[in-house]
Amino acid sequence: MTDYILLVVSCIFVNNILLMQYLGNCPFLGVSKRMETAVGMAMAVVFVLVMAGAITWVVDIYLLKAFGLEYLRTLSFILVIASLVQFVEMFLRKSIPGLYAGLGIFLPLITTNCAVMGVCLINIMEEYSFLQALVSSFSYAVGFGLALVLFAGVRERIILARVPRPLQDTSIGLVTAGMLSLAFFAFKGMV
Amino acid sequence: MVSGFLIMGGLGVVIGVVLALASKVFYVYIDPKIEAVEDALPGANCGGCGLPGCSSNAAAIVAGKASASSCVAGGPDVAAEIAGIMGEALSLKEPEIAAPGCTYGYQDADIKYPYQGIYDNPAAVLLDGGSKICTIGCLGLGTCVRACPFGALSMGPDNLPVVDTELCTGCGTCERVCPKHIITLTSTSDRIINEYVADECTAPCHRSCPTGINIPGFIKEIRDHNYEAALAIIKEKCPLPLICGYICPAPCELACRRNLVDEAVAINPLKRFVADYEMESRKHIAPYKARATDRKIAVVGGGAEGLTVGYYLARLGYNPTIFEAKPQLGGILRYVIAEDRLPRKVLDHEIEGILKIGVEARNNMVMGRDFHLDTLFEEGFDAVILTKGGFDSRKILQGESGHHDSPVDGLYLMLDFVSALARGERPDPGQRVVILHSGAEAIDLARRCRELGAEEVMVISGSRLDQLPVELQDLKALAAEGISVRHSSVVTGLQGNLRRLTGIVLEDFRYGEDLPPERETLTADTLIISEGRIPEILFVRSDDPSEPQAEGTGWHTVETFRTYPQSRDGMFSPPEPGRISDSSAVVKSLLSGRRVTRAIHQYFTDNTVTPLKNLVCETGPILNVEEVHDVNPAGRELPDATDVEGNSKTAWIFPEKFPGLDEASAVRESERCLQCGLICYRKQA
Repeated sequence: MTDYILLVVSCIFVNNILLMQYLGNCPFLGVSKRMETAVGMAMAVVFVLVMAGAITWVVDIYLLKAFGLEYLRTLSFILVIASLVQFVEMFLRKSIPGLYAGLGIFLPLITTNCAVMGVCLINIMEEYSFLQALVSSFSYAVGFGLALVLFAGVRERIILARVPRPLQDTSIGLVTAGMLSLAFFAFKGMV
Repeated sequence: MVSGFLIMGGLGVVIGVVLALASKVFYVYIDPKIEAVEDALPGANCGGCGLPGCSSNAAAIVAGKASASSCVAGGPDVAAEIAGIMGEALSLKEPEIAAPGCTYGYQDADIKYPYQGIYDNPAAVLLDGGSKICTIGCLGLGTCVRACPFGALSMGPDNLPVVDTELCTGCGTCERVCPKHIITLTSTSDRIINEYVADECTAPCHRSCPTGINIPGFIKEIRDHNYEAALAIIKEKCPLPLICGYICPAPCELACRRNLVDEAVAINPLKRFVADYEMESRKHIAPYKARATDRKIAVVGGGAEGLTVGYYLARLGYNPTIFEAKPQLGGILRYVIAEDRLPRKVLDHEIEGILKIGVEARNNMVMGRDFHLDTLFEEGFDAVILTKGGFDSRKILQGESGHHDSPVDGLYLMLDFVSALARGERPDPGQRVVILHSGAEAIDLARRCRELGAEEVMVISGSRLDQLPVELQDLKALAAEGISVRHSSVVTGLQGNLRRLTGIVLEDFRYGEDLPPERETLTADTLIISEGRIPEILFVRSDDPSEPQAEGTGWHTVETFRTYPQSRDGMFSPPEPGRISDSSAVVKSLLSGRRVTRAIHQYFTDNTVTPLKNLVCETGPILNVEEVHDVNPAGRELPDATDVEGNSKTAWIFPEKFPGLDEASAVRESERCLQCGLICYRKQA
């Protein structure tokens, strides 16, 4: 049990996918201008990442490892994740239109996002069990969401501040992201 | 190797089959119109429609939230295609294109400091608003050129952006990126109805011309011998250039910056020169006309203002019909101004030109005798506008009793009502009377109305309660008499049925507070206004289903003019210089005519008439120069005429005997123009 708690803490804070591993930076800067979209994106990432983590683990263990095809890992993961998202999108649109309307536009955006891909590959590299892979995918996604929401909150404030023209928008966003990342360095060595 | 092929291939096949099945199982109906509309849109995602991209605009169009012509980049063809998909009638606005609003580039303007920073306008503006002294000057760093998604902008040799009008789609990207809002979208229709605002580059002559002719613009065309182009520029603001050339008091020449060096440029003679050129060429130069619509507008009154409204409505694509009480069009111009000052052949020439572009005129038609508001609506007119101007049309009705020169029954001028009472007549005030007056006489009139049988009488005033005469402040005692007083209120609209008044729209405001005024509708049978004449009133058919339509056509009025934010005038405000309802000079009537045209056009395109903000004629001091340097003095060109003593004649009191400028001297005179901007002017270094 302690192992799992440590895994969760390490995935959310210590090895935060956005601020410590620097993966998935395009949505981090792209959809963090408004809290609303940031929350939508965070939910979509949690949703997709858990499913992708599970299915890529299965694909890796029962297909690639079984036939000694580890060199095709990246390619097959892209294929699997992309079609999974596609499938989920169609499923949601039909069955849970409310959720689709909320997540809809974000789903295709993160189809083969590097954060999603990265977490799936980390799961395999760390040789997690299926359950561990699930928990780590979920926790990484929560960490992603946490960083995104924090960042969106900061950016909403920045809009009200008097930022010099050349620094506005993405420039000040990157500076802020850097500071946020420095703050997360405090977690280093906790686990 | 083989297993790799097999696994990946197998994976691909399985996923393909699953997705294919899923797309059948989870099929959701999407309106094919959305896809069709999206295909029709250009796909540039420029954001000119105000939505994030073409697909969201497509969804908005199908949902009815955006109009078929909302895509500015696509232009009329795309709009027509979308309207076809949607099965809608198309209401088209004239396409707009970008127009840079600065005339002197960085190297020709006065600067505060040389700028050598980042080559981008938003960065340059950070240093004290840019290096130019002029607060609205183009910094010439080409941000708009780089932002243009259609490659329509380039930087000209004088460091000002140049628009390729063929490529410009009017998406407005340049307008949004320019930190100084110098480059704006405009069109001929737009220029016809607009007035100058304070943060736009205007020359002193621009600002002082009551109707706002682009004076440096047309003089420049004369200099280049493009007389027809010069006339087209004048006619964007002034439909009667030759008449103005004869009788305009020319306030522009008083404001001319050349007065600081020698003498004003002969602006009015130059205008007369191009107008004479048109008359002598014996043809009417066809102006730009927007695409025709099937809207019919009745213009009541054929004077300078009515002719202006008719002319510009026709140019904006409407079908105006002028109703004139006199046997001929022209109003004061024809029946009052001396033949010596304004030859009638000039007037006839101008009126002929106006009628030629699609204005119908019916003479000898008196409102209230030969036609009424309801008969006009029955005939199919979509709007009726009163442009009776300064002409005392009551004279026309002399001898016919019961007439009070009123477009609708129940609307009286106070003077008429009181004089009818004094003659011993007993006009029927109906049940509810509203008197719009701030003076003590209102009380007396209110009591007389009560005696005549009115149940309720309300006195409305725009003043605060403590500014009203004491007689009106005793609200309790007056209430006991059946008279109520409302202060800080103005009338902004009328409502009625057939030719009767049924209600008035009031706006209440609190002085000293910036709250939007509260709007309220009262029922009223009679409205007595204390002004000397009926102002410009725009009547339109009422489509409000909540109103009882049992007795035929309902109508309401649209407020034609308001400035923002100070103005709290309502529709019966007294005429003052520069505002609507001013007929002290023909050129001022032209301005009211343009304002009324704007109201009609906005009402039919946007369904609402927006208040004008930041008008240059209303704001206080504007950036200007006190002295002029590096300009060589040169005498004003005078027409070839001498007075009895053989001296060159400078007066222009009898223009008929006073020839205009000839071509050579007109071109020489146009060279004298300094082509001013806000603070820039052409220097002869």
